[in-house]
Parts: sequence; structure tokens; C-alpha cells
Amino acid sequence: MKAAKSNKDKFKKRDFMGWLVMLPSLILFAFFVWEPLLENIRLSLCTAKMYTITGWAGLDNYIKVLKDVDFMAAFTNTFSYTFWSLLIGFVVPIIMAILITETVHLKGLFRVGVYFPNIMPSIATIWIWSYFFLPGPTGVLNILLGKLGIEPSVWLNNPKWTIPLIIITMTWKSAGSTALIYMANISGISPDLYEAATIDGAGIRQRIRHITLPSVLGMAKTMLILQIISVFQILYEPMIFKNGGPNNASISLMMLMYRYGYRDYNVPKAAALSVMICIILVILSGIYMKATAKKED
Amino acid sequence: MKKKLLSLLLCTVLAATMLAGCGDKPAANDNANSTPSTTGGEENQGGGETTPATAEDEPVSITLGIWPEDTLTEDIAVHEGYVATMAELHPNVTCVPAYYKYATDTFMPMAESGNAPTIFESWFTEPTKLINANAIADITDELDARGWLDAMNPSIRQLLSDSNGRVYGIPRDGYALGLMLNVELFEEAGLVDENGYPLYPKTWEELAVTAQTIKEKTGAAGLCLLAKDNAGGWHFSNIAWAFGATLCIENADGTYTSNLDTPEAIAAMEYVKSLKWEYDVLTADPTSEDWGTGFTQLGTGNAAMYIAANDAVNQPTQVNGLPVDKLAMCGIPAGPGGQYSLYGGTPYMFAKDATPAEINAALDYLEIMGKAPVATDASVAGMKADAENKVATGVPVIQRFPCWVNQDVLDAEAAIVEEYGNVDPKMFEAYFEATSGAGLRLEEPGLTQDMYAELTKVLQAVLTDENADVAALMKTANENYQMILDSNLNNAE
Repeated sequence: MKAAKSNKDKFKKRDFMGWLVMLPSLILFAFFVWEPLLENIRLSLCTAKMYTITGWAGLDNYIKVLKDVDFMAAFTNTFSYTFWSLLIGFVVPIIMAILITETVHLKGLFRVGVYFPNIMPSIATIWIWSYFFLPGPTGVLNILLGKLGIEPSVWLNNPKWTIPLIIITMTWKSAGSTALIYMANISGISPDLYEAATIDGAGIRQRIRHITLPSVLGMAKTMLILQIISVFQILYEPMIFKNGGPNNASISLMMLMYRYGYRDYNVPKAAALSVMICIILVILSGIYMKATAKKED
Repeated sequence: MKKKLLSLLLCTVLAATMLAGCGDKPAANDNANSTPSTTGGEENQGGGETTPATAEDEPVSITLGIWPEDTLTEDIAVHEGYVATMAELHPNVTCVPAYYKYATDTFMPMAESGNAPTIFESWFTEPTKLINANAIADITDELDARGWLDAMNPSIRQLLSDSNGRVYGIPRDGYALGLMLNVELFEEAGLVDENGYPLYPKTWEELAVTAQTIKEKTGAAGLCLLAKDNAGGWHFSNIAWAFGATLCIENADGTYTSNLDTPEAIAAMEYVKSLKWEYDVLTADPTSEDWGTGFTQLGTGNAAMYIAANDAVNQPTQVNGLPVDKLAMCGIPAGPGGQYSLYGGTPYMFAKDATPAEINAALDYLEIMGKAPVATDASVAGMKADAENKVATGVPVIQRFPCWVNQDVLDAEAAIVEEYGNVDPKMFEAYFEATSGAGLRLEEPGLTQDMYAELTKVLQAVLTDENADVAALMKTANENYQMILDSNLNNAE
């Protein structure tokens, strides 16, 4: 009697339990993500005193952002950050991962070594690097290079180098965690493949080229778009290093948004810029999807 | 079925949270989670027959954002004394310590959620912004009832008022920019007269030479110049005045015209550039220096001179360890355009949802602290407690810059400086001389912070690039600033 009925009951009960488990996260998502997101779009179209909406503004806030004297600098810099981060930061974790997987001795040590900068608090990292990049004879890098007889450099104060140097510090800090993901990916490759290749006489270079790299390609594509999305929202690194300077050489769109919101208390303008950043990222992701979809066909 | 249920659930949750977000709850339960209150001090302290409580007997609770931070134990003890006096004079008032250091990124959410402290200190840059954002309380009526409105230094009152003359704060201190000197470095460089007083520079040209001597003799920077944030532009505006520049022109029709690319302003910027590339007397990286690091450089002996005001004498000494007798101040050097000292006031402000009774209670507290334009027994006792604490913690007890105009307060303050003075007045003589004359000048009008931001960008460019074209940079800054003025003020409805 029980057995016949309980199948359906059980299913329902399980279903209900599933929803129950999800409920807290649904509520949290709705409260902390969806609602603020919609509210942000609404704010960007209104005038407001602090967060209190006082009237309808249409696209005024967007126009104000576009006309802002610092907007163009922030806009181009943000793309520059993304470009440099792909140029410098994208392949480094892959190389690290391959090197460490190929290492026979002290693998654990190297793994901890590359991951170590990642556990340091971000602000501390930036301060340490600030001492390295200090211009003049007291900067750590200048002292070190001075021993080699190299003239002191101004590092971050050279506007051409501000962004690439900031990207190098970011790569130093976060490449390790990405490398771990690649390492996991590489260790998932069947050893049979390598064995077969070795029997066929493939050297290490050929093994990496024909087995390892194709296997991590899928992961690399995902990491690529994740990296673009996260670097595009770069905020605190330029803010703490040089406060967007010298002369706007390192200001980013998110920094500009922070200034609107928290320095000028102009929340609608900040909201408008954040919506714009969101749109740009949606477009970039769209391009990525299209590009990768074609290749998979 | 499943999908329907899912979408139904999502919609409900979304709707529910939106409604929750829209709810406009009055924030009455501020102090539910705040630190233990400190009412009910029963000590019989001096100052018996001072002003009676402002007639309200219903209990009032105020949160004191002006409470000192946890590490300043001596300062906290002084405030506990104030709270005890408060309990005696105004037994209906509960004072809740709620240390709050004003910061632009925390204030807005606090104010919006009704959690801003009843009274807090802000910065000199903030009043216009906070007034425009409706973020602080209008206290005109309360001040008027006490007769404090007319006691306020008129130009400082203007800084704290909106366009209709309503007042939103009262000055903690007035300040005027001057030059702080690290006397240890002056001594080391041999730049002292026969009595040991520093030979301070009187013109900007002299400053460059003095700074050079200091750098040669001691290795420390001659001058700490700021170029990290808007404080750089703020200090620069004072330098520019000395070269004869006026940076913003207020027209008769109420519009503003940017005036950053005049020959005088360019000359001032050229001068700053020469400090880096010709004299080489600045700290290692001026583009990393802000208001706080400047005091660290001065206090710890990395820089000999720094543009700063009298209300911050605790920064190099108490905060950064410079012995109290090794700090001196002189006026901002003169230039071809004259000698000017930028002055303003550091304000106390009040939470926008504070009731009149709460505002009055907070004003009573200020009175007991001795920061109000009254010279009652309690307020004089407050001034004394403050001075004693300064002596104990190695902060120079010097004259305040007058932010109130009533004579009895000025006299009381002068008497206290006389009694508790822990520094040689001669070390500060040149400063007070320079700031007592006609050279006092209020900040430039018209979106000053945006002007400072533009100037700071130019400062960063000329201090990092030896070949920077100053005139072209100032021209760009001028155009940018004019554009900001046009879109925000001149053509605003």
C-alpha cells in the first residue's frame, strides 16, 4: 500500500526539499543582485539627492558622463588595461601550469610559491609594490638596478608605463590562482596520451604542443572572457597606486564611477556610467561568444 | 509545472524584495546597537551655575560622532569628563559615544539609512556638497535662538550656508594656511638665527633656496608638495595667488569664468615645476603625497617645510612624533602678486534626521567642550581640559584662528593659551602675523573641488615630465574647468 503511493509523494517531497534548499540563495540573489540591478538602471534615468529619487532625467545622466572631461581618458585607459592584461597576464598562468606539471621534484613547493602572492591582502601588495616603484634613489627597484649601474627610473610616473606596470603587479598577484586551475585541467589529461606519444617518439615540446595545449584550450577560452570582464572593472589598483594619475594616465571607468558616487555624491551619474560599463561588457561577451562559437562549428 | 513554479517563486521573491527596498522606515532605533551609554556621571564638577537646560525635559539621546577614536585614550578621558558635566547640566540628555571619522564612501549610506551620528566633524571641502545633497540638518533656527548666528565669523558662516542664507554647521576651528617647519632640520642645515629660531623663507624664491640648502645639508626634502589628490590643487591655489593669479571669476550675472591659463597662474605652475626639475627639493614622489602623508614627511624629518594650517598642529607632533618644541610655523611666502593665506573653517555638522531637541543637546555638548561662542564656566572648563590634554600629549597649545567674533570667547581663549602655552610663541609669531592682516583670502568660488582636480592633473604632469608644456597644460585645464562650470553652474536651470 505504501510502495505504490510513496513514489509520487517522495518525488514531490524531494522536489519541495530542493526548492527549500534553494530558497535562501534565491532570496539573497533577488535582494542583493537583481533588485539593486534594476534599481540602478532606474536611478541612472532619474535625478536624485543622495539615493532619493527626485525626478525623471531621461538620458541626461548618460550625456553628462559622455561629456565629462575625464571620460575619454578613463574609457581608453580601461581598454588599455584589458589589452595589456591579455598581453602580459594571459599566457603567464598557462606557462606556469605547464612548467609546474612537468616538474618532477618539489612540485608542492612551486605550487605554493606561485599561489603565495594570491593570499596576500591586495592593499598590502600594492603598498609593497609602491615601495618598489618609488622614483628617485630610495625606490627598491632603483636601489637594485643601481647596483648594476643602471640609472634610476621614474616607473609609474612615466605615463606610458603606468598601466603596463600596474598590470604586471596584478599578474604577479593573481597568476598563481589561475595557474592552479590550469594545473587541475592538465592533470585531468589521460596519461595514456602522453605514453602513446612518447612511444611514437614525441619529445617534450611536441607533447606540450600536441597534447597539453589543445587540452587546455577550452579552459583558456573561458579564462579569457573572465579575465576581460574582471580587468575591465579594475578599480582599486590604480586608485591606490596613483589615484588615477599622473594626469589621468591610469584612471579607469570604475574609478570614475567611484568618484561620481562617493566623491561627488552624484549617484545617478555613477549609475549611468555603471550601466554603460555593463553594456560594453555585454557587447564584448557577445563578440566572444560569436567568435568562439564559429570555431567550434 | 516546475517552470511555472520557478517563475512564480522568482517573481514573488523579486516583488517582495523590491517592496522591502521601497519601504521608507523612519530610522528611530539608532541607538539599539550602539555602544553603552555614558549618562549618569554623578561627580560634582565645577561650573555650577551655568546656563540651565534648554527647557526640554523629555529624554533626548544623541550620538556623538565627535568622540575620539579608541586609541586616543587621553582624549577619551577628556570627553568622559564632558559627558559627566553634561549629565549634571542636562540630565535629560543621554550621550552615546559613536566615534565616526567622516569619509565620503561611508557617509552617504549612513545618512540615507538614518544612522549618521547626531553630530560629526566633516572636512572643509564638504559643506556645499552635503548641503546640496540634503544630507545634513539645517540648524539656523537653533543657532538663532541661542544668538550664535551673529557670533560666527561672517565669511566662515557663508561657507556653511546655502544660497538662501540657511546655516548647516558651525565651525570647530577656523584655519588659515601657513608653512609648517621642522625645526630639527633647519638646525641641522644651520638655518637658524643666533637665538635658535628658524630662518624661514619670506618669498617663494627664498623658499626654493632655503629648501635647496636643507636638501644639500641634511639630505631631507626641502618642501613636501602634494600632487596625489585635490589637496594638491588646494595648496597650489594659494601659491598661484602669490603670483598674482585669480583662478575663477564670479561674473555680475552669477556665472563663473575659469581663469586658469593667465600668465600669472602659468608662472606659478612654472615655479612649482622648477622646484622639481631645477632645484630638486621635493620628496621622492609628490604624486603619492596627500594631506596625511605630508604630515608624516614633516613629522618624521623627511621634509623640512609643508603647507598646513594651525588647526592641524597635532598631526606632525602627536600623530607623527615630532617633539612639540621642534615645530614652528610661518606665513605662506609672498610672491610677485603679494602674500595671501587661504582660510576657511572645519565644520561640525548634524545628521539630517536629528530633531531640534537633539540638535540643541549636541550644541549644549559643544558648549561644554568649549567650542561654542560662549564663555560660561562649563565651556571654559572644557577649554582647559582640552588644553591640559594637549600639553600632556605634546600638541602645541596655540591660539585658535578666530571663528567666533565675540570678545569674551576670544579673551577666554587667549587666557588659556597664556596659562597652558607649552611652546615658545616666537615659533608661531610669523604665522599669526601673516594671518592677521589683509592677506586672508577665502577659497576660490565656483565648483572649487573640480578646479582643484584639474590643477592636480597639471601638477602631476609637470612633476613627472621635465619637458611638460606648462602653458598648454594650463590651457587644457582651463577649458576643462570652464566646461564643468558651464554644464553644472552657468547653464543649470
